[in-house]
Amino acid sequence: MKLSDHEKDGIVVLEPKGKIMGGPDASLLHDKLYEFIGQGKKKVIIDLSKVDWMNSTGLGILISGYTTLRNNEGELKLANVTEKIQSLLTITKLIMVFEAHDSVDAAVKSFK
Amino acid sequence: MNLELAKTLTYFLTGGFLVFLAITITRDNITNRINRVTGGMLFFAGLGPISAALGTLLDQSTAGGPPISQTSLYHLYLVWELFFPTLLVFSWHFPADRLKTFRSSRAVYLIVLPQVMHLLLMFFFADFNQFVDNLTTSAVQEGFLSIFLKPIAYIFSRLIIILGFARTYEQTIFGAVNLFYAALAVYFLETGKKYLTNPRLLSQTNAALRGTRSGLGLYALSYLAMHVTSHDLTNSLGTLLQLGAVTAGAGFFAYAIIRYQFLDVRLVFRQSLIYTMSSAILVGIYVFLGLRSKELFTPLFGDRAETVSYVFIILILLLFQPISNTVDNVIHSMFMRTRTDYRNIMQRFSRQVISLFDQAKLRQAIEETLKTALLVDRVYFVLYDDSVGEYAILKSDDYPRRKVIDREDLMLRGINLLDTPTNFASLRDYEENSQLANDLHELRVKLVVPLKDSEHLLGFLALTTKAAGYRYSPEDYNLLGVLSNQMVTALTNARLYADSLERARLEEEINMARQIQLDLLPTAPPKLNCTVISAQSTPSRTVGGDFYDFIPITERNRLGIVIADASGKGMPAALLIAQTQAIIRSEVNTGNAMATIMKNMNQQIATATSPEKYVTLFYGELDTQNGMFHYVNAGHNYPILVRAHGEVELLEIGGPIIGAIPGMDYTSTSVQLAPDDLLFLFTDGLSEAMNVEGEEYGEERIRNFVAGVRSKDPETIITEILRDVRRYDPSHPPQDDTTIIAIKMNKQVSANVKEK
Repeated sequence: MKLSDHEKDGIVVLEPKGKIMGGPDASLLHDKLYEFIGQGKKKVIIDLSKVDWMNSTGLGILISGYTTLRNNEGELKLANVTEKIQSLLTITKLIMVFEAHDSVDAAVKSFK
Repeated sequence: MNLELAKTLTYFLTGGFLVFLAITITRDNITNRINRVTGGMLFFAGLGPISAALGTLLDQSTAGGPPISQTSLYHLYLVWELFFPTLLVFSWHFPADRLKTFRSSRAVYLIVLPQVMHLLLMFFFADFNQFVDNLTTSAVQEGFLSIFLKPIAYIFSRLIIILGFARTYEQTIFGAVNLFYAALAVYFLETGKKYLTNPRLLSQTNAALRGTRSGLGLYALSYLAMHVTSHDLTNSLGTLLQLGAVTAGAGFFAYAIIRYQFLDVRLVFRQSLIYTMSSAILVGIYVFLGLRSKELFTPLFGDRAETVSYVFIILILLLFQPISNTVDNVIHSMFMRTRTDYRNIMQRFSRQVISLFDQAKLRQAIEETLKTALLVDRVYFVLYDDSVGEYAILKSDDYPRRKVIDREDLMLRGINLLDTPTNFASLRDYEENSQLANDLHELRVKLVVPLKDSEHLLGFLALTTKAAGYRYSPEDYNLLGVLSNQMVTALTNARLYADSLERARLEEEINMARQIQLDLLPTAPPKLNCTVISAQSTPSRTVGGDFYDFIPITERNRLGIVIADASGKGMPAALLIAQTQAIIRSEVNTGNAMATIMKNMNQQIATATSPEKYVTLFYGELDTQNGMFHYVNAGHNYPILVRAHGEVELLEIGGPIIGAIPGMDYTSTSVQLAPDDLLFLFTDGLSEAMNVEGEEYGEERIRNFVAGVRSKDPETIITEILRDVRRYDPSHPPQDDTTIIAIKMNKQVSANVKEK
């Protein structure tokens, strides 16, 4: 997984690319989130449009990110959830937990 | 006559040998005090036999004239008595340099006083009566001065009496002094031995002690002989015994020097020395035989003796080479083939280390080799520990505790650059702010031997000075270089061996975990009237993250059915699974509602583990009386319900995965099962099986397949779908843990249900 980030209207947009799996991916996202939390930026959108695959550990990474932000009075939202990830979120019923939007713009708007 | 000549030759050779050794040792390292002392001692010991030989020769050459023993020059031979004080000094310095106070004091030279006095007395007053006569005559002639001279003359006459006494009983007095010196030396050597731990030094000291003791014994005998027997006999017997004493004593020292590398006389030098001596002796015998052969053969062959002797000489000359070789070999086997021979050290060490895989034992072997072969006083090990990733001075007999070295220590970096054994003093550039440098200084380290494999510094040996203050020779550096390479190999082997043991241990643990996990799974599905149940679980590794369970709830005529999949794989997943299984069993026993059971379980696991550790879990309860199936699906792949006529329903209702986020709520629901209905539960190992194109087998394919085989019995259904999936994804072992439960309602019992 590669992770790039930018900001839109004061909201952090993380853009993982490739496969979200276990191992180094976890700490990569984790460290990034803490970096932003440290800067006081606690509203984060993860743009999943470029993620082609995610396994159970990858899902764990998303959950971990969600919990981390929530524990720091922040919020994590998802954008551009692919069909595959949508079904994963549906089966695990995490769709009840994660707020998912069709586009980054929609997600940004939802923060206002 | 022949006996006299043999005696002379023996004296001469012995003395020469001792003097030769003395020069060798002194020259070898003249700056070292122990070398000088030993050299001096052997030199004076050698003077004894040489002067005795010279005396005999002079006696022979001046046959008929006045006896040589009465001349002043003759008594110069008493110089050899300086052997005793030097022996005493030697015994102070060897093996441990004790009595350091004496060392700095000039008073130490006073111990030679008795011997010097003896020499002077004998030299100036060789013919004492003559001297006294002369003195008395001159005193009378100078009569007019006698008034002034009287007190002086009086003192002088007393002095002369003392001198005369000393002269008359010189052998008794000075002999006793010498005996006392030798006894004192034995005492010092004996007490010095107590400080010794090094086995090689101990053998050296023992040899030196044997020499001194036997010399002392013989000297005491000669002393007695001179006083017990009549005077005529004494001179020759006494002299013989005295010389025997010197020869025996010094001989043992020479033996210690050669046999045990005493004072580290270098190997090559020892060899040349011994071969020179043996050749000299051989040639001496040849000369003797050549000169005397005619005389020897005369009684046997009469007139023809001359011819025979020529033939004999030619014969022995022809035999010279083989005889010389044999003598060389014998001497070599006697003196050279010692355990201290460098080549032998290496051979012995390699043999030893090949069989040692325990690092501690290996270190012991290294330490022993260095202490025995090189006389190293103390050896410290600094080694890298893989498991903690740090260098440390290791605990040993010489070092009471383990001390970790800072990774950034400058001295450590300096040593990292070394390839060969190096003098510690030459590493001064790396001492700044270095704790390691301070420690090594404190331990009086002299030499650092890096242990390096092709790329890494495994550690190094820090060696102190050699015992008794010997220095490291260039040969030592070479030997240490070779030994360090062998140590690296041995240490690497030991590490690999330890690793393999560790791996075997881990494997054993995982196998035990697998056994525990297998024990936790139901041995066989329960046998009920209403259903036929079949289940199977295949971990992709030794232990897996899937589990299933059947929990009988007899008081409510229900059967609890669990299928679950923990996030991740292997050991971490297995531990999470074990926890989940324990919690669900205890929760079910509380009799709580199914939704509450799930809520509680989520809460427990979510608070006990980090968010990314979660379990997807499906829990159902089958009412065995009426065929009603109650369930909660906590984020698990939807189980498939295939009705008898082929319609497919998915069991979705429930809540989020267990253990990810605390405070989640769950909903339970029910579905009525009818005869021939098939319930198919599985984990994602089945649905996510992937073909070579990277496409998943998928839930839809599972639904279609199961619907197609719904009329078959559960066991067959499981076998067939597994076969189909394996065909789709032949990777072995399977990429993920796979678990399947198939439940089919019986016609007969279901019929009963229907009637109700």
